[in-house]
Amino acid sequence: MDKETVTTISNLSRLAFDKENEEKITKDLENIIKFVDQLDSVDTSNIEPLTSPLEKTAKTRADEVTSKNRKEKFLKNAPNANEDYFLVPRVVE
Amino acid sequence: MSIQFKTIKELSSMLRSKEISNHELTKETFNLIESYKHLNAFITLNKERALIKASELDKNSSELSLSGIPIAQKDLFVTKDLRTTCGSNMLSNFIPPYSATVIENLEAAGCISIGKTNMDEFAMGSSNETSFYGNVLNPWGQNLVPGGSSGGSAAAVAAGIVSAATGTDTGGSIRQPASLCGITGIKPTYGRISRWGMVAFASSLDQAGPMARTAEDCAILMNEMCSHDPKDTTSLDEDVPDFTKGIDAPIKGLKIGIVKEFDLSKLDSNVVKVFEDSKKHYESLGVEFVEVSLPNINLSVPTYYVVAPAECSSNLSRFDGVRYGNRCDDPKDLEDLYIRSRSEGFGDEVKRRILIGSYVLSAGFYDAYYKKAQQVRRLIKNDFDNAFEKVDLIMSPTTRGAAFEAGSMSDPIEMYLEDLFTVPANLAGLPGISIPNGHVDNKPLGLQLIANSLQESLLFNVAHNFQMTTDWHLKTPSLEAK
Repeated sequence: MDKETVTTISNLSRLAFDKENEEKITKDLENIIKFVDQLDSVDTSNIEPLTSPLEKTAKTRADEVTSKNRKEKFLKNAPNANEDYFLVPRVVE
Repeated sequence: MSIQFKTIKELSSMLRSKEISNHELTKETFNLIESYKHLNAFITLNKERALIKASELDKNSSELSLSGIPIAQKDLFVTKDLRTTCGSNMLSNFIPPYSATVIENLEAAGCISIGKTNMDEFAMGSSNETSFYGNVLNPWGQNLVPGGSSGGSAAAVAAGIVSAATGTDTGGSIRQPASLCGITGIKPTYGRISRWGMVAFASSLDQAGPMARTAEDCAILMNEMCSHDPKDTTSLDEDVPDFTKGIDAPIKGLKIGIVKEFDLSKLDSNVVKVFEDSKKHYESLGVEFVEVSLPNINLSVPTYYVVAPAECSSNLSRFDGVRYGNRCDDPKDLEDLYIRSRSEGFGDEVKRRILIGSYVLSAGFYDAYYKKAQQVRRLIKNDFDNAFEKVDLIMSPTTRGAAFEAGSMSDPIEMYLEDLFTVPANLAGLPGISIPNGHVDNKPLGLQLIANSLQESLLFNVAHNFQMTTDWHLKTPSLEAK
């Protein structure tokens, strides 16, 4: 775990750190990755990964309208919105 | 009359006999919240609506199982028109337009949601110290942590403010605080209780459950919390039994497994003694103990710290400062908006876990970490499957020791190991209960029992037998109102 890796994953995570925090976080991540490296000691050849304790195909439901449009209620939680849309800084010039 | 430290059963009977009115009970609950405000167990109160509902129940009495019972809801469940923060600055102004299925189920059974309990931010923590709203204090000591992440719920029940609270458990977040606060809490089988309306942390591990003073009360709550929910694709389409049925049946002849690989010699000798005493007690009730081997169980915590952060980094990508949650001031472009809104909104532990998640899921590391952890997860589940061919239940301490002081555990990995005994049940999707079974230095400890899938009734039965014949669950902290 070096600074370059931390910069890459911070960028992937859309998180930023100041210099002082960056050093601490690099050290923490290094220790955590070292800790999980224990998993290397197990032979897992031919073992099927377990993604969920429920090994069933996710059930689907009919695509039916179950409640009326609550656009106003949902837009109310947006930090910035007009009557119809969430607003963000201009993306296309 | 005092309602403090009463169980659901006792309060229901007081309400039925009109010894107390619904309104008086709810009002008195808010008085207790005020008296023990210093515990910091609540983030948001629901006072006005709670008192209205209580008065309505006084006018139109109901026979519902939880009629008039005040319940504290973990602030991870979204509650319609009531602020839901998940312990984070990110959601400090979030007013959900709908309620979680668990909340709807409990309220339909007549309960009164009195407020939202404090918790580790996004349920990531084992001491409640990662909450943006300040840490919760454990009623059992001066500066002790209540455990986490459902620490506010555990502290509110332990202080006798409420008879019951909801919690969620991704790696031990119900059982560990239950243990540290001397109450009873169960994490049901994965899929038993709908995840609809739970703010997602690690979706293949998250499971809601009840926290209360007794196993019997937890069974009463489970009867209402469980349902098949078409809105959650992982919700089990299984019949929900009456969990109180047969709860006092004798347990003679039951076989309980002790995990060979859990090295208890590393624990404090007083903690081991409490565990050994519980074993002897169960033997006196006719239980037979058998050693079982789960060869991969000690890899549970490292497995968890790959799987949980991976799922967390994906789930928490929704917090982008656009549709809800914190948005930074004056973003210069969209990227800046994402980065600053997230960096300001999340605390250190949440950021750490998002970063680990991004790392183990990134190109070049996916197979070495994420896929590998999922393979080990399968081995751990296979270990449980084999063990349950020989025994009915598996028993261990819930935690390595009693509550520790706030600020005393600064190493993240040391904190992660708090969940050593609880994480395996989440990885395998199995139900696990923690019941109070002793004290060390006047601080409570918990005993964990894990059952095979869907065997919650057996857990309640075995826990209730312990509580019928011991009084650890009846002990209360000496609390000073402030």
